[in-house]
Formats: sequence, structure tokens, C-alpha cells
Amino acid sequence: MVSCVYIESAVRDHPRASQLLQRLRKLPLVEIDHYGEVFNPRAQNFRLQKQNPAIIIAHKNKGQVLAAPEGYGLGGEHNYYFSHMLNCLYDCRYCFLQGMYQSAHQVLFVNYEDFGEQIRQTAARHAHKPVWFYSGYDCDSLANEPMTRFTEYFIPLVKSIDNAWMELRTKSTQVRSMLKQEPVNNIVTAFSFSDAVSHARLEHGVPSIEKRINAMSRLIDAGWPVGLRFDPVVYHRNYQSAFVDLLEQIFNRIDAQKLHSVSLGSFRLTRDHFRSISRLYPEEPLFAQNMNLDNGIISYPLDREREMIDFCETQLMNHIPAQTYHPCEWHG
Amino acid sequence: MLIWVCALHCEAGPVIDYYRLKKSHEVRAFDVYHGDDMLCIVTGIGKLASAAACAWVAARCEREAALAWINLGVAGAAEHELGTLFVINKIVDAETGQSYYPAPAVTTSLAASACLTLSLPSDEYREDTLFDMEASGFIYSALRFSSAELTQSLKIISDNRRQQTGKNRQRVSELVQAQIESIDRQAAGLLRLKQQVAALEIPADSWQQLLSLAHFSQTQRNRLRVLWRYLGNREFESQALLRQLAAHNTASAIIATLEQISYRDSEEL
Repeated sequence: MVSCVYIESAVRDHPRASQLLQRLRKLPLVEIDHYGEVFNPRAQNFRLQKQNPAIIIAHKNKGQVLAAPEGYGLGGEHNYYFSHMLNCLYDCRYCFLQGMYQSAHQVLFVNYEDFGEQIRQTAARHAHKPVWFYSGYDCDSLANEPMTRFTEYFIPLVKSIDNAWMELRTKSTQVRSMLKQEPVNNIVTAFSFSDAVSHARLEHGVPSIEKRINAMSRLIDAGWPVGLRFDPVVYHRNYQSAFVDLLEQIFNRIDAQKLHSVSLGSFRLTRDHFRSISRLYPEEPLFAQNMNLDNGIISYPLDREREMIDFCETQLMNHIPAQTYHPCEWHG
Repeated sequence: MLIWVCALHCEAGPVIDYYRLKKSHEVRAFDVYHGDDMLCIVTGIGKLASAAACAWVAARCEREAALAWINLGVAGAAEHELGTLFVINKIVDAETGQSYYPAPAVTTSLAASACLTLSLPSDEYREDTLFDMEASGFIYSALRFSSAELTQSLKIISDNRRQQTGKNRQRVSELVQAQIESIDRQAAGLLRLKQQVAALEIPADSWQQLLSLAHFSQTQRNRLRVLWRYLGNREFESQALLRQLAAHNTASAIIATLEQISYRDSEEL
């Protein structure tokens, strides 16, 4: 349940902020100068805040579009990411956002036009070459769609740029706004899935696997490109049978030939994020598993990781064409 | 431990009575009243007094697994009715301009407001904020020891443009007393959050027993703490674990044993 709304004084009259305030009018409103005053202080407990997070309506002053981290993406040459929001509606225990931010409040940036301008300029710098823009790195692209109306602005924008591609990464079922628009070939909606055991234990507040498959299916039927992301794959005693069951569940409904891309990666976090999150959730089995530190990244020991990836890849290849597969490469 | 921070005895009195807190005769710096998992400190007027009292009492509570704080007092406002209770969602220090934001982690039906902390008494009423003389000093200090979710300020209107009762001590006590049920509900919510945090910590006695089994380097202690917190929160019985570990006489063997238990337990997710 959202506890209150913070708003930067400077965006109080912004049309998108006004829409949001209208929607959130029953909540206490607190004016602030800059979202960092509320979002960044150290004396905050992410775990407690996540129970009743606030919404912060803000302006993103700079860095609206950033180079994607090494290894992020689908193998394209030019990869960028942008975040119209910080933090997520859902509460997935493996998510790095819990370790990256002090606060669980959700920051909504309203100056989409500045993001749009940077996307245009970035795409123009790589004229005639495909440039990927990833949304859903610091948030779920679609989960807050009824509030943010993200797709209403960004889909027509990306459609209008010849060499731009966009990935919307989501665990939500909020596809209604997309279904109202004509499908766009260079916009891929990528649905993340974990097996049923990991989903039940680790993905708090996330819609059921069945409902997400249904949302995916509706987008495919409407002609939208859709991807599958099995990242992170989490180890547990029955991960093999659970992963096989997940693939059965998905491909009973989804025609693999119609998928744009599929990617797969095992659970990993930077050392700092792992430490922060495991301090917040000391009782969480995920962080008590046997892990190794490799080049600043904490992940499963190499033999276990190899076994998991090999198994999952083999199972996936029983369903999908090889050319759609993109492994998540993160080892240096 | 829930710590009530009040400037005056007349503000603290209804809380002391409601929770049947007992005066401590061991300390002289501040008047302190103790109860079960709760204490109330009377700080004196002003933000410096409030900050000093918070730091002093936090140092005396350093063995507590978690501290929660409520600054309870009266405030002025332009138009609000006398006796109205507010939960403060923004505190501005008038002198420095610094803003603080107690995190709204407790679900409440109380009205919320900003509060401006002044260094001197004032009868200059502002439309959009309450004003007091302690909240910024309180939160500045309390946030050194607790997170913003466990640090709350509750203010009751004692003065407005039409009526001023802030200097009438009996009337102030009556205003607080009239809101004591709402204040108690807010405190109960905060105590629940505090207990969530405290429950994750390692009990001091079992930790000392564990450390006495071998000599641990600082790095080994850090690893040991992670493992012991995990197993403690997974409801492994600490005395049974300690008996099992007593067979090992080196730090590395103890850690290796705890790791194996953790790995086995965590495979189920």
C-alpha cells in the first residue's frame, strides 16, 4: 500500500505530475526540493519501507540515457538503458535494486520529453546502425503503466526513429495500453520468468506465471514482438524438474517460432549489493547458499553454474530455434 | 526499546501514566521513566536539548537490538483546532534550512503535516506548517541511531491565531491526554516495526557463547555473524547448535560446520 506522495516543487504544475496527483489525491502530499532528499539518505531501512512505500514525483535532470553495463543486452553493438522510474512495484528477493538504493520508495520521473530528446540524440550518433534502448533496468517497464502511461509516450517515440530498438522488461500483465496501439516491429516486450518454486519463494507480489503467459499470448496475437527472459535462474534442490515444468507451461501456450529472443542467466549480484541485501534479509535461504566471489560478482561456484546453465540451455533448445537464444554473458 | 522524547513534563505526563512508567533514580542528566521495552526522556525546551537527550539515551541503550523513537509534544499552527494530533512527515530546521523526512512506515489515519522547528518562541503563524522548538534536533540525533521508519514525531496543536494554551502546563497535559488512545495506536505500530528489526538480530548471550568456543579473527567473526543470523532466523535451536559445535576447537572448523548446515538448509529455498 502506498503511504504518501512526495513531489518536487518544480514539477508541481507539470501536466504528468498533475495527472498523477489527481490519481493519488487521497494520499498525504509532501513537497520537496529534490528527490534525493528523500531517496538517498542512509538512515533508511529498505525492508521496512517496502511494506508501505511512498511515491516520489520528480524531474530527471541529467543522464536520462546511459550506456548499458557490459554484457547487458541481446548482442547488439550499441546498447543503452533509461529509467523513467526508480524501484519496482514487486518485491523479488534476488533483485539488485534492494542493494543499490537506500529507499524502497518509487521515483516517477515526469519529464519524458527530456528522455525522448536524449534517445533521439543517442540514436543519431549511431546513424544507420541498430541502437538498443533498454527500459526496465531500474524498474519494471510496465508494472505501473496505469499510473505512468509510459508506453503512450515512448512507443510512438521509438517507432519514429529508424535505427532505434527498445526492450520493455517486465513481470507484469499490464499490456492493455499496448494492445490499444498498433504493433511496432522494433519494440520487444520481454517477460521474465522463474520456475514455480522460485516464483513462490522469491517473487513477492508478482502476478502468477499463468497470468503472465496469458499477457504474453495476447501481445503475440496482436502482432507485437515478444521475448522470454530466464534470468536469474536460481538453484534449489528441484530446479531441474521445476524448469522443465515451466517450459512446458509456457510452450503449451506460446508458439516458440513467434518469439523475438530468449535469454538465460544464473543468479548473480555484485559483492556490495549481495552484502547489503543479505543484511536486510538475513533469514533468506537464497543468500545462505554456497556462493563464490569472482571478479567482484557473487554467484554460484563455477561447476554448479555450468551444470545449471547447461541443463537449462539443453531444455530450452528442445523448444526454441537456436538463433533466438542469447545467453547472459557476465564472466570477465 | 521504544523511546518517547518530550520537552516538558506536562507533555510526557499522560504517556508516563498511560504506560505506568517508573522514574529512574540512577541518572541525573535527564529525567527518565522506564517501562517494559519502553522509556520516556524529558529533555527540556529547544532543539539542542532534544538532540543532546537523544544521543545520551541512545548511548545508554547501545545493547538494544533496535531503537524506535517518538518525539511527542505540542506545536503551533495558524488555523488548526487546538488538540488536533498530527503525524509529522517533514521537519524543517528554520535556522539551517535543513529538511528531514520521517518515513511513513506505520499505517495511520492521523492527519499529516510538515513542522518548522524554530530556535526561539514565536507567534508568527504560518499557513502551511506547524511549528515547534524541538523536532529538528530530535530527528537529527535519532537518525544517527535508527532508520527514518523508526523515527516519528507526533505534534498536538496547543496554539493558533485565536487561542494560545502552550504555556498552560495543565492544559497541555489535558490536550495530550485527550489523544492518548491515538498516540498509543501509533506507538503500537512503531513497536511492531521495531520488533521486526530486533527479531533479525543475534541474541547477545548466544553470540557470546559462540565466540567463547574458539579464537575468531575479525574476518571470521563477520562470516560467523552472517551464518549465525541465518540459522537463528531459520529457527535452528541455538543451544543444540552450540553443543554440536563444542566438538570443534578451531574457528575454521566451526565456520565450516555452520556453512554445511546453512548450505543444506538453503537448498530448499
